[in-house]
Amino acid sequence: MIIAVSGKGGTGKTMFASLLVRTLSEMNGKDILAIDADPDENLSGALGLEFDKTIGDLREELLKERDKMPPGVSWRDLLEYKTMGAIVEGDKFDLLVMGRPEGQGCYCAVNHVLREIIDTFAKNYDYVVIDTEAGLEHLSRRTTQDVDVMLVITDPSKRGVSTAKRIKDLSRHLEINFKDLFVIVNRVSQDKLSKIEEYSRELGLEILGSIPEDEKVLEYDFDGKPLIELPENSKALNAVREIVGRLLMRYEA
Amino acid sequence: MLEDLPVDVGLIYEGERIRKANMYVDLAGPKSKGAELLVVAPKDKVQDGKVEVIGSDIQDMEEGKAYSFGIFVEVAGEKLEEDLEGVFERRIHDFANYVQTFMHLNSRDVIWCRVSKEGAKKGLSLKHVGKALIHLFKSEFDAIEAMQVTFYTDEKEVDRFISEARKVYQKRDSRIRGLKDEDVDVFYGCVLCQSFAPKHVCTITPSRTSSCGSITWFEGRAAVKVDPKGPIFEVHKGEEIDPERGEFSGINEMTYKRSNGEVERVFLHSLFDYPHTSCGCFEAIAFYIPEVDGIGVVHRDFHGVTPFGIPFSTMAGQVGGGVQSEGFQGIAVEYLRSPKFLKGDGGWDRVVWLPRDLKDRIGEDVPEHLREKIATEEDATDLETLKAFLKEKEHPVVERWAKEVEEVPAEGEKPAVTVPELEMPVQGIPIAGGGISITFKNAKIYAEKIIITRKEK
Repeated sequence: MIIAVSGKGGTGKTMFASLLVRTLSEMNGKDILAIDADPDENLSGALGLEFDKTIGDLREELLKERDKMPPGVSWRDLLEYKTMGAIVEGDKFDLLVMGRPEGQGCYCAVNHVLREIIDTFAKNYDYVVIDTEAGLEHLSRRTTQDVDVMLVITDPSKRGVSTAKRIKDLSRHLEINFKDLFVIVNRVSQDKLSKIEEYSRELGLEILGSIPEDEKVLEYDFDGKPLIELPENSKALNAVREIVGRLLMRYEA
Repeated sequence: MLEDLPVDVGLIYEGERIRKANMYVDLAGPKSKGAELLVVAPKDKVQDGKVEVIGSDIQDMEEGKAYSFGIFVEVAGEKLEEDLEGVFERRIHDFANYVQTFMHLNSRDVIWCRVSKEGAKKGLSLKHVGKALIHLFKSEFDAIEAMQVTFYTDEKEVDRFISEARKVYQKRDSRIRGLKDEDVDVFYGCVLCQSFAPKHVCTITPSRTSSCGSITWFEGRAAVKVDPKGPIFEVHKGEEIDPERGEFSGINEMTYKRSNGEVERVFLHSLFDYPHTSCGCFEAIAFYIPEVDGIGVVHRDFHGVTPFGIPFSTMAGQVGGGVQSEGFQGIAVEYLRSPKFLKGDGGWDRVVWLPRDLKDRIGEDVPEHLREKIATEEDATDLETLKAFLKEKEHPVVERWAKEVEEVPAEGEKPAVTVPELEMPVQGIPIAGGGISITFKNAKIYAEKIIITRKEK
């Protein structure tokens, strides 16, 4: 199952993605791949993992090496080897950092092959969680394809919810395949939630759940501690657990 | 035959990748070393079905470690030729991956294999992997009459094996470099760029790498194997209409179809009449310079200006987008190394200007007699200095000027610039600048002299 997490910057998208990874990894025996597809590369920090190379780095490396490659060797196979090497292999889950999407030169062919490689790798995991770019660029550049569920994280504002709507419309326009799109409202108090829910309904969006303001998140963020290590009693963590439970019920029941 | 194996073998396991958390041991890979090699051997040297392991086998290995690793495959058969070694060797990757709980990546001396904990638990041995390889190879290729496999895990043996293997790779590569368009019936087409250059179709042959430099003929073949209906596809080259300029009936038909009827004919190795279309992401541009009747090449990394007074980026903007721009073509840097490089226009003998960086990159593949005669930005920055340089160095194109001068009726008046039947590559030349581009279609312009001056800002 491939789950993409998106939303505007500052909405708590990466926090949600990291807690989603934690929740999934707490289920026994599941293989999980987290993909940081946001060029700001925050997910690794939230997951408490260090990475050596991004896919963007590999691409640059390859373009430099390709010129000198012997003719009987395929750079496609070499890129697969390098991609395997770039995966940060943790005990409970793996991480792949995409890095900068563009640079100089042409990437059409290389990007195309990379997508095929990553698709092959992704099939080996029970769950793939993609932390996508903040804006809508990932959709227009078609880096997020064939996703099962798109989760849009928003703050409790009208504008945030409209972003989710735009993502939904744009994806239809670009024929990107995901089965469902749900909204998750972050940092919201119960009394405000009903208003947001009403507005979402008007736009034809379904809210999968909400996450309350959590002092602990701010504290961890400020101290640079990985959010995945939030204590058991964290309000945000428990809200995410509930949301994930609801999500899996829908798809795996 | 494979029933005795403790694990399954089949195509469905091809995409199996083993996570570190599930890994028993790594064989070769970034933390160790290794190689694989397949050779055709005389029949009496190959004992069919034999699998040998030199060094420790999986069950004797320590969990979590990386071991050096070599795979040596010897095949024999009446019809087998040395030329097939490379093609067969590439299949080790596929077939080894068919073995459940065994992962294989890449080729040659940069391989990475991994055995999963599950495999080790089930009692998987390298002997099993070898048996599976022999079975799969022999069922796929009837020509293989006998096959034996030797695995090396002993470090010293692996070292020796790697250096042996490298010698064979080298020999093989020099053979592949000699592969000609004439040797194959199938070329490849690519429409990956059509999202932004809707009429662009790339033709990929042994002597023409895709314009972006990414897809060689071999790479095309690999891509088609992965996805036969994808943006890269097979094309039968058909009848060779013009061997010099590189026109093929099969390529014309394919291009016509894939460009939605926009492009009818393509000369693969010429800038004139029907040049190959240019996408947008070509690595370099070959451009005709009528003033010296020569060809310049500028690559993407060069930020200075060409003798035309414009940089790569401006020229790229004019040339790209999937149209045929006479006198211009977006090309791969690798194409400069091709024996067919602009053959229809005289090849390297016609090249008069290259950025220094590109000239160094091509190095020895610039024909020796021209190395000092082709100008760089250090020798010529505009048409006047270029002309002077070429004359001084006696570049082959200078002879063409002389011929033209002789043919000019001797009325005493010397023409300022002599150009043989100037088919001016007008399409896309920035005539007005400032965001206006004028495109002439089917136009021939006759001019005694054209003066283009740069406007002071």
